[in-house]
Amino acid sequence: MNDMSDVKTAKLALDNVTSGYGHVDVIKSLSLDIRRGEIFALMGKNGMGKTTLLKTILGLLPLKKGRILLDGKPTDNLGPKGLVDAHVAYAPQDQPLFQDLTIRDNLRIALRSDRDLNAGFDRVQGHFPFLTDRLGQKAGTLSGGEQKMLIIARSLMMQPDLLLIDEISEGLQPTVIARIADALKTECEANGTTILIVEQHLSFVLGIADRWAVLKLGVIDDSGDIAGDTQDRILEHLRI
Amino acid sequence: MTLILDMLTSAAILFIVATGLLTIFGVLKIINFAHGAWLTVGAYCAVATAHMGLNPWLALPLAFAAGAVLGLLTERFIVRPLYSRPLDAILATWGLGIVIGQLITLWFGRDVQFTANLIPGTVDLLGTTYSAYRLFALVAAIALGLGFSYLMEGTRLGLSARAVIMNETLARALGLDTAKIRTVTFMIGTGLAGLAGVLLTPLTSTDPTMGVAWLVGSFMLVMVAGQSFGALALACLLLGGAQVIVSTYVSPILGGITVAVLAAIILRISPKGFSRA
Repeated sequence: MNDMSDVKTAKLALDNVTSGYGHVDVIKSLSLDIRRGEIFALMGKNGMGKTTLLKTILGLLPLKKGRILLDGKPTDNLGPKGLVDAHVAYAPQDQPLFQDLTIRDNLRIALRSDRDLNAGFDRVQGHFPFLTDRLGQKAGTLSGGEQKMLIIARSLMMQPDLLLIDEISEGLQPTVIARIADALKTECEANGTTILIVEQHLSFVLGIADRWAVLKLGVIDDSGDIAGDTQDRILEHLRI
Repeated sequence: MTLILDMLTSAAILFIVATGLLTIFGVLKIINFAHGAWLTVGAYCAVATAHMGLNPWLALPLAFAAGAVLGLLTERFIVRPLYSRPLDAILATWGLGIVIGQLITLWFGRDVQFTANLIPGTVDLLGTTYSAYRLFALVAAIALGLGFSYLMEGTRLGLSARAVIMNETLARALGLDTAKIRTVTFMIGTGLAGLAGVLLTPLTSTDPTMGVAWLVGSFMLVMVAGQSFGALALACLLLGGAQVIVSTYVSPILGGITVAVLAAIILRISPKGFSRA
């Protein structure tokens, strides 16, 4: 899916990446490039390796083979802290919030210093104003949709250059999905944020993404730009 | 009145001793069985300060620094490889405690040592004449509790530590340096143990094995408290108060085992103890 020129110019480039758990390879020699400022949707059925790929990119899982390049530079020794310092944000699917911390502290923890706190709150307020009105409320007491919005808000606090999002729309009502989609599109257009979003919600993807790929058993099975035939092509792959 | 003050000050002393152990257990999820040894190191800082003729109050920062530096080395070379093996960490820290005890014996000998009281004399309080130092211990425990509340609730280090306690994987994913947070936490815990050692010296004799008895009591209190400093304060008040009552009205020998026995009963009834976690 990429050639050497893509690898050098992409915001994020995966070059023959293999990773997994223990001796089991979940991602197998996968190559992919994510262009600057685009929203790229990675789709696939459950168990195909989507979350594993995100964790590998973030350094939470070891890279067994291949290279991961951020702005053309290998991320080998950066680890999660180095990547966050390089303005990469991650919105995980599993246990994504500190339930016993307040909204304020859940947002605050995304920043390296409290000096940037007010600017971060201002940014969040533009997308999800209810959060800044309820800063003292514990995250665990929010509804499911509000928690998902808090996850995205936390990711946007640090004004990321690259945002990795794992199945944010799962179980959400359409109005909440629309608000999240608006926030992501606005962030992308206003700040040039690059977004790699792992999803199974087809209409959400069709509404925000520029390009897509389908992951099947750890390899890219199909990919393309969002176009008229995208829905049928993706549905073909997601059919059980 | 004297009994109430005895109960309060005994609880305060237990709180001072157990705080370092809970700090480490709360964030790192391991029981540092070398806690008694760090406490002994702190007490011998007071002895050394006295031998050198220095201001006895200097022993407090000296003991905290000694505990923190030794904690840094312990975390880096002994505990860090064992985070995923908490039982092995208990054995390793227990063994380390024995080694430290022997080293102290080599340096200072087995003799019991005594140091000058940091605040000698008594004060009149509500018609009762009471030890000024024990009242100071009560104030020190309250200051320690308030200081810790501020550290945990009001600083970024505290926020990071709470995040690591709640969900270390997420904390890592958000770019927190969890290894550094663990190291700093361990240093604070061992530093507090050293500090507790100095604060104990006016109340008890100092010898190379003095930490063992305090370790057992602290361990039981931390098991009852879980990961909460509020729960630790409550456990110290109830169990420490019971210890004073049993010692006063039944037998000082039975009083010595009151904390351990009551803690075992509480954990039998409520395995999570006083903690809501």
